[in-house]
This record gives sequence, C-alpha cells and structure tokens, in this order.
Amino acid sequence: MNGFLYGAVLQWKLDLRSRTMLITCYAVPLAFFAIMGGVFTSIMPETTDTLIPAMTVFAVSMGALIGLPPSLAEIYRSDIKKAYQANGVPLSLGLAMTNISAFVHLLIMSAVLYLIAPLAFDAKIPDNPGVHFCGVIILIVVSLGISSIIGLAVKNMANTSMFSILIFIPSTMLSGIMFPADLLPKAFGLVGKLFPATWGYALMAENSLTGHNLLPLFAIFIIAVLLCIILLKRVEKR
Amino acid sequence: MTDALQVKGLRKSYGKKEVLKGIDLRVRKGDIFALLGVNGAGKTTMLECIEGLRKYDSGSISVNGSVGIQLQSASLPAYIKGMEAIRLFAKWNRVSADASMLAALGTDSLADKKYREMSTGQKRRLHLALALISNPDIVFLDEPTAGLDVEGRISLHAYIRTLKNLGKTILLASHDMVEVENLCDSIAILKDGLIAFTGTVEELTEKVGTHYNVRIKTSQETKDFEIDNIGSGLMAILKDYQKENTVIQDIQVDRGSLEQHFVKIAREDDR
Repeated sequence: MNGFLYGAVLQWKLDLRSRTMLITCYAVPLAFFAIMGGVFTSIMPETTDTLIPAMTVFAVSMGALIGLPPSLAEIYRSDIKKAYQANGVPLSLGLAMTNISAFVHLLIMSAVLYLIAPLAFDAKIPDNPGVHFCGVIILIVVSLGISSIIGLAVKNMANTSMFSILIFIPSTMLSGIMFPADLLPKAFGLVGKLFPATWGYALMAENSLTGHNLLPLFAIFIIAVLLCIILLKRVEKR
Repeated sequence: MTDALQVKGLRKSYGKKEVLKGIDLRVRKGDIFALLGVNGAGKTTMLECIEGLRKYDSGSISVNGSVGIQLQSASLPAYIKGMEAIRLFAKWNRVSADASMLAALGTDSLADKKYREMSTGQKRRLHLALALISNPDIVFLDEPTAGLDVEGRISLHAYIRTLKNLGKTILLASHDMVEVENLCDSIAILKDGLIAFTGTVEELTEKVGTHYNVRIKTSQETKDFEIDNIGSGLMAILKDYQKENTVIQDIQVDRGSLEQHFVKIAREDDR
C-alpha cells in the first residue's frame, strides 16, 4: 500500500475514532432521520416520496459542513502541517485524505438511509437508484468543496464550528427539504440557491441528472476548488 | 572535518520586526551542537529556516546530508496510534517500518496508544522515533528532554550519544544548560537575531569565565567567594582563615557553569 492510500485509510479510521465525525456523519443524521422521518410522514404522508432525498441532503450537509472543517483545521492550524513539510509531503495531501475519508463516510451514511427509510417509514425508493446515487456523489463532492473552504479559511480553530453552523443552517433550511422551496420568500429562495443542498435535493427529488440542476453544482464546485487552491497557497506561504 | 551544516547571512523578518539579522554558522559533521538563546531570541525561527519549514528572506543554508526533524508536541493527529504514526512516516519516507524503532527508544507500549493519551515525555520519544525513521545523517531536536522525568532524560541522553557514535550530526535547541554542558561538543548562543558566541563550552568559559567561584567548607560554615585571580585571590582568602586559626575541611574552585556564562552573554548589553 503506498503512502497516499495508507494515509487515506488511516484518516478514515481516525475520523471514526474522532467523536466529531462520528456524531456529525452518523449519530445526528440518524437521530434526525428517526425523529423527523416519523414527524414528516405522519403529518404529510406524501413526504414519503421525497424522504430519502431529504434525509440524504441533511446527512450530507451535516457531515460535510460540520464534520470536515475541524479535521482540516486540526491539520492546517496546528503543527501537524509541519509533519507534512518535514517529510517532504505536499500540504495538499492533508486536504485530499480528509476529503476522501469524509466522502466514504457520507456515502456509507447515504446508503444506510437509502436502505432503512423504506423499511422504517415506507419511504418511496427512487425510480432509478443509479441516478440517485450519482446525485448523492455529486452532492457530497460539492458539499465537501464548500466545507474545505471553511476548514482552510478560518484562522481560529474555535471559530470553525461557528462558521460551519452559519453555512449549515441556511443550507438545510432553504434547500427545500423541510418545506417546499417555492413557499419561501423570494429573497430566501435566492439565498438558498447559493448552497449545493438546494440543487442536490432537486437533483435527487427529480431523480434525473439534468443540466439545470447540474450546472449550478458544477459552478459551485469550480469556485470551491479555485478558492481551496488559493487558500492552500496561503497556508504554504505562512 | 567537513561541515554538516553551513549558514551564511541568514535573515528573516516578520513584518517590520527583523528576527534573524544575518546569521553565520557552521556545524561540524558528527558533532552534537546546541543552539541556545533566551525566549524570543529567534531560535525556533532559525531552526525552522534550516529545517526547511519556514521561508527566509535572504542568505544561504547548505545542509550536507539527509535530515530528520523531531517535531514539537501537537504535530500529530489526536487519535493516531504510535505504530500507525511510525507506519505513516515510513510510507512517506519510502522505508520499511518496524516496531524496533519504538523498542530502541523504550516506547514499545506506545504502539497501540493514541497520541492524545500519551504523556509529554512519551510524545517526545515518539517524535524522536519518527525523526529517525529514514536513518538521517543530521537530526534536529527541539527541546528533546523537556517534560521528561530524570530516568527518561538519562536514557534519552544515552540514546543521543549512541546516535553520535553512529556518526550522526545532532543539532538541538535546549533551555537545559546541564544537558547542553554534558551532551554537546559545541554551542552557539543566539542573541537579538545574531550569533553572540559559537564554539565549545570550554571556549565559552575561557571567554567569559573571568571569575573563579571558590567554596570553602570549615567545621563552622560553608562560604562562597568570587575572585578574579586564582593565585593571589585564593591565597588572600586562605591567609584570613589562617589568621583566625580556622580548620578548612574542603575547598572547591570552578570557573562557573554554562548557565552562568550563558546569562552573562545574554545580558551583556542589557545592563
């Protein structure tokens, strides 16, 4: 196993040991699913149609936006980055390994939700599971891009959680998973379109990989990648 | 003997504050070399520039051989285990990892222990093991024994001497003057961003140890004197005791410790 692969697997294990990742990727999304799944489907039985996409968007947003930034801050705001430099390892490796690890955790959680939602709440299985999981993968990748910006940009480790929550709350509230996005005031609806959760939810709910949902996600991802490159260069200079 | 490290005109500023003001330094191959300085003198900045962890403004650094760096605490993820860290660093350095590295440092028990659960001393030992993983020619140690108990300190000193016997050059930063005096072949004292002294401890004593400390023990008391001239000064003290018919039980004479000399140099222009 080469250094990169070993590092990625190790990071995955470290994330499992770290309570932050365990709570944000698994415990809270499952608890939310158990409570809100029951509430939604009993008040509005038609939500069973969109329960899997809605719960997946919540889990991905939570795990990515709240779970990943502390791992990145641990590397780039502490002496851990010196361990990379001292061993001639590019600083971008930390970003890559934490993202791969978070990606796998979020994919596992999304699969768990996909499997248990029909059993627990009689949720409708997406017509095309392949398209659904493509949507999940795209949403995870774009959401991790946004959370990487937070992890690399926030100067103080203690502030990381605050910024994560500031992005996470509007992201989920305005995405349409709680209530239809067209019921929101126009301004809120526009703000919601800045977050990948809105487009990811639309993509999964429609169960089709169409350009009008994919293009905004692609644009957000490109901006996130460019910002991450700039932020990494800033870390290297420091 | 060839140089393991050569630094010429090294300068580094943080904003308007110039921390290193043109450092010139040479470290001989196979030496244990200590970098001393009061807090804020620029030791860490200088070490990090040499180690390649920090960019410098001007000057040149020439390192003759491969380098291993003992990092400070908090430079590993909290949940990583000792053996996992060894394996990860081994992969990064493309060498094979084995537990003997931990065993050699008496830290076998750290293999399955999480970093966050290790004591300061255990972390330092693990970081030393990680620094040595690629069998480097030059080893950088930053406060290697800080936080260690006496036993740990003695065994780590023995290990550092073993490294020297293996032909490695060791460059360490330390606040522990006894450690430096016992361990190091040569030292440099950094003061206000410049090297105020470089040479052996004996050469430092020759340079600043102009006073002699004399301790005389009699049946009644133990008294300390400070004299400039060992011949006439000591003679005068002994004559006084003779006049009083006091029986001297013991006389100790020394030229001051490294700590005293260091303080003298560090405070030279502050007075």
